[in-house]
Amino acid sequence: MPAPTCRSTLPAPLLAATGVALAFLAGCASQVEVEATIPTPLIEPFPISVGLLLDEALTEYEHFEEIPEQITWTIRLGSANREMIEKVLGGMFATTTSVTEIPSPNNRSTLDGVIKPELEKFEFEVPVRGRDNFAEVWMQYRLKLYEPDGDLVADWPVSGYGKSEIMRSNREESLNEAVVVAMREAGAVIVTQFPSQPPVEYWLQQAQNTLQSGNTGMLISNDDSSPVTPDVSTGPNDE
Amino acid sequence: MSHSRLIRNSVLAFGALAFLNACGVTARMEPYKQTDVVIGEGDQVVVLARKHHATHEAEAGFVNCVSDALASGRDAIDVHPTREFEDMLYPWFEPSMAPLSTEELSELLEKPAVMDRVRGTGVRFLVWLDGSTERTSSGGGISCAAGVGGAGCMGLAWWEDDARYDATVWDIEQLESAGTIYADFHGRSVMPALIIPIPLIARPQAQACRGLTDQLREFLTSPYGYGGGPDLG
Repeated sequence: MPAPTCRSTLPAPLLAATGVALAFLAGCASQVEVEATIPTPLIEPFPISVGLLLDEALTEYEHFEEIPEQITWTIRLGSANREMIEKVLGGMFATTTSVTEIPSPNNRSTLDGVIKPELEKFEFEVPVRGRDNFAEVWMQYRLKLYEPDGDLVADWPVSGYGKSEIMRSNREESLNEAVVVAMREAGAVIVTQFPSQPPVEYWLQQAQNTLQSGNTGMLISNDDSSPVTPDVSTGPNDE
Repeated sequence: MSHSRLIRNSVLAFGALAFLNACGVTARMEPYKQTDVVIGEGDQVVVLARKHHATHEAEAGFVNCVSDALASGRDAIDVHPTREFEDMLYPWFEPSMAPLSTEELSELLEKPAVMDRVRGTGVRFLVWLDGSTERTSSGGGISCAAGVGGAGCMGLAWWEDDARYDATVWDIEQLESAGTIYADFHGRSVMPALIIPIPLIARPQAQACRGLTDQLREFLTSPYGYGGGPDLG
């Protein structure tokens, strides 16, 4: 008597169903490593030097969100954050230097100031049904500017909004593009509005005055009639 | 599927034949040119989307369509890539920063290095695209059923899309608006189902792209192709 075939055939549909279920589950988790290329802003940089404190919270930023009955998103923004901040602030000041800590009265910085950016809020929406066919992103950064002795000069929030049409049902790509648009927008606001915040404006004026008086001092001591200009040759804006 | 429902869907399907003539696109274009300026040797054009209002902005695909269509064909125009232009002038053409009037453009060009950078691109004309394609209405229905003897669908579905765009052309050299072209393409699509669904799809956005591109080409190359229009600021 031949062996019954039902045992060998029964698992097949079960395996197929399991495969479909696994594929479905895999499709329910999306991971996006945001890739952004931010241009150097077309502005005249301030002739001062600042330190940038980019901590792990910013450069390793990861947003995890589980949307009930839909999808689980993991969005990694760290390298894009670094790109945006370094390009934007690097273009605004003559020199930017990476620093590892906020200065203090006992540990004064030789720079004109230190900026610590933070990504405070990140919100997004990627519709999975309905007629709305856009991925949308809203993000809020916070820029903290410190004096060389560690005094807080400004604590300024700046937000950016971006949206991108979902093309060829590629939601991850559209979300990436929406993040880039939001980052570019936040960068544009930093470039145009951060220097005009009253405490920042005052700090900039003070820093430039110090620079000028320092130059005048050099002129007197050197007894040289040729004008002295600040050395900005090492700035990232000189690319 | 019940007998009465089958009859109803059959009537709907045959009625679809009457709708076949209704499937298509109706177009309205209104070009206004305020100057006699034409594109010169070495001049370039850049096509940009108006993005300052979040609810409806020209789709990236539409901007690319107009940009590519202008740059191709027998009378191709030298078109500067949109993203490259925005990158070279970052942040001044980002949604919240982009000039909304020629007065604001004039102020922007006075900023250090901006005019030089624009001249470096070779761009003489900015074409601002504003508008979007939206579904205005839809209706009907199709029922499908499958049995031992086979499967099939009956019914009729229809929908209407409206592609409304305007293209405003700014002359960077003269620092003025050269004019605007308004395009409204209304498309009605139907999908009757007689055993199998037969989609008869109108593509108003694609037609708006072609229509707007043809008008833009004429706008930029014909000095007297258009009559005077309203003051566009």
